[in-house]
Amino acid sequence: MLDTPLLVRAPILAAAMMVVVGILASQQVLNALARMQEQELQELARTHLDGLAVALQPAVLRKDVWEAFDTLERATLEGEQVRPIFTVVSDDTNQVIAASDPTRAEVGADAAPWIEKSKEAHQLALTANSERVFVTGAIMYQGESVGRLVTELDISRLAEERRRALTILIIGNSAATLVLAIAAFFVTRRALRPIKVLTSHMAADPPEQIRLGNVAAGDTEVSRLYRGYNGMIDAMNARNDAERRLAERERYVSLGRLSSSLAHEINNPLGGLLNAVDTIQKFPERRDAVQASAALLERGLNQMRDVVGATLETHRAKREYDPISTDDIEDLRTLLRPESERLGQTLHWPDVIPDVRQSGLPAGQTRQILLNLLLNAVAAAGRNGVVSLTLEMRARAMRMTIADSGPGLDNVALRKLTGDTAGVGHSGVGLRLVRDLTEDMNGSIEVQRNDGTTKIVVEFPFFAHTDAA
Amino acid sequence: MNRRDIILGATGLFALAPIKGAAKTEPFRLGLTPVFLNNDREILSASKSYLEAQMEREVEFVQRRTYEEITNLLLVGDLDAAWICGFPFLKNRSDLALVAVPVWRGASLYQSYLIAGAERAAAGWDDLKGDLHAYSDPDSNSGYLVTVSELLKRNRRAEEFFDRTIFTFGHRNVVRAVASGLSGSGSVDGYVWEALATLEPELTRRTKVIWKSEMLGFPPFACRAGEEASEQVVTFRRALLDMAQSGEGRDILGQLQLDGFQRANAVLFAGIQSRIDIVARKA
Repeated sequence: MLDTPLLVRAPILAAAMMVVVGILASQQVLNALARMQEQELQELARTHLDGLAVALQPAVLRKDVWEAFDTLERATLEGEQVRPIFTVVSDDTNQVIAASDPTRAEVGADAAPWIEKSKEAHQLALTANSERVFVTGAIMYQGESVGRLVTELDISRLAEERRRALTILIIGNSAATLVLAIAAFFVTRRALRPIKVLTSHMAADPPEQIRLGNVAAGDTEVSRLYRGYNGMIDAMNARNDAERRLAERERYVSLGRLSSSLAHEINNPLGGLLNAVDTIQKFPERRDAVQASAALLERGLNQMRDVVGATLETHRAKREYDPISTDDIEDLRTLLRPESERLGQTLHWPDVIPDVRQSGLPAGQTRQILLNLLLNAVAAAGRNGVVSLTLEMRARAMRMTIADSGPGLDNVALRKLTGDTAGVGHSGVGLRLVRDLTEDMNGSIEVQRNDGTTKIVVEFPFFAHTDAA
Repeated sequence: MNRRDIILGATGLFALAPIKGAAKTEPFRLGLTPVFLNNDREILSASKSYLEAQMEREVEFVQRRTYEEITNLLLVGDLDAAWICGFPFLKNRSDLALVAVPVWRGASLYQSYLIAGAERAAAGWDDLKGDLHAYSDPDSNSGYLVTVSELLKRNRRAEEFFDRTIFTFGHRNVVRAVASGLSGSGSVDGYVWEALATLEPELTRRTKVIWKSEMLGFPPFACRAGEEASEQVVTFRRALLDMAQSGEGRDILGQLQLDGFQRANAVLFAGIQSRIDIVARKA
């Protein structure tokens, strides 16, 4: 039921409520009828007993069997609803003087069993399907009880009347309840229509605006709701645009930095290389100088090849979804080292890189996250700073910790990395990208700061390769 | 009619002659014991109408619950005549005189029946021992005297033979008591039981006759001794004796299931007298 949409659930609940109300109302009517019948029964029983007691009093005083019997026989009342069918009259010692049916209670027998199973008139109650009740009353003479009467009353007609009332109620109320339930179903459904409109517009990709033309003029709540929703959609679209622009800009910034880093990496050995070429050109006959210059050229070109290779590797689209490998981690070191060394930093890299491949995490995204965080760490640590990377393989999760000795992330950077809102500002380049990528990969980011060290802990559950492979 | 009756009648006639005119304004008061269908308004109404027409005077029926009350009213002169039983008639033999006796099934005789519930296996007296027994009236011959005397004849005392006895003050009531199971057995007027067997067979069907007495004198109409020849009694007797002569009278007789009325002598009740004697002796 909880899975059922509100648009179905609410009308059904409203209809069910009508059914419950119908049942309760019927119950009330039946209870009232039962109370009325009970009062009627008590009144009739009392009248019957009082009348009979007066008629029987002389016979009871004389213990005149025949007189008592004759009185009982002649007193066979034909009530409309309640009919006495059997009466026992006993003396003050509870001995039967006479009974309307002597075969059921013999003269002189003990009347106690009859008295025990009977009730005083005011105690009479109607129970379900009870067709017979026993009622008892004292026969008084000069304020003293001289005997007792027990009458068995046939109340089947009362029961029949209740059954009839029940049948009428069931038919009538069922019909009324059905009509009410159907009405409640449709009224509730109609009342919930704005929600249905809202849900369908929200479910659309991207969420659509609601046209206000169809809303009834007087329905201010609904039009207010729709306007509110439309405003929200506007705001959301505007935010998405802003975020898109920001991400675009970040990408350019990131690209710019990478380009500058790349240029720097190429530029650094370039002076030495050109110098080596110059040496070779000036001293072609000096074999040792040519060899030394060639070796220098080779080293410089190798370094450039490594840098270019790592950059290519990092941004090569086809490897995007391949699982990350230890080579990827090494490539990152290659990319990072020149800048780190330029700043005279100490770079702690894992001595042995664990088997990150088992994590199954996509290489492209993971490298992007690590590269951004490490570049930021290097930038933050500054001259002579310390930057470290730790990789831990846990049960079904990989944890990467990037630490630096920098001043720590400012609020804007922190919000970009961990907050829900789009941060605006220049600090922490690519941090927003890191957050988005981490969220995509169901990872979590935690920022710790103690003893002058900033630690960014990123943890990813192992990635199950499906269609992404 | 014997000579004594005629003389008494004549004497009464003469004695009443001077107040004849005054007597005409007084209603003729006839006492009815619960011998038979004392509640049947139709029979009472038809009988009253018939008697008033025959006697040319108003007739008033007086009913009481017991034989004793009616007998006493008759003895003190509050009634002009009464339909009583042979037993109280004999008990007050010197103070009462016979007016006429009904004829049933060709004779002024009937029997006392000892009845029990139809479902019972009882077949004789011994089977009724320890019963709750219903009598009609302590002054009834068939509904009391016969049973008590019969038990004495068998060397039993009714109060010991039966566990408990009740008086229902009506022969029909005896049948009702037995039929309903209130009493195990009862003593009833045989004529009443037979009449009920025709009129209310569903009632008598629930009873069965265990024993029948010998033929005994039918309950007579009686008046105070000395008034049997009074003009009103003579007129009343004539109305009874002539009942079978008119259509209206025959209707009444038909309802009462009687053949008619006849004059009778106290000798008719010799059988009852012998039962009174048994009780007197054994008591």
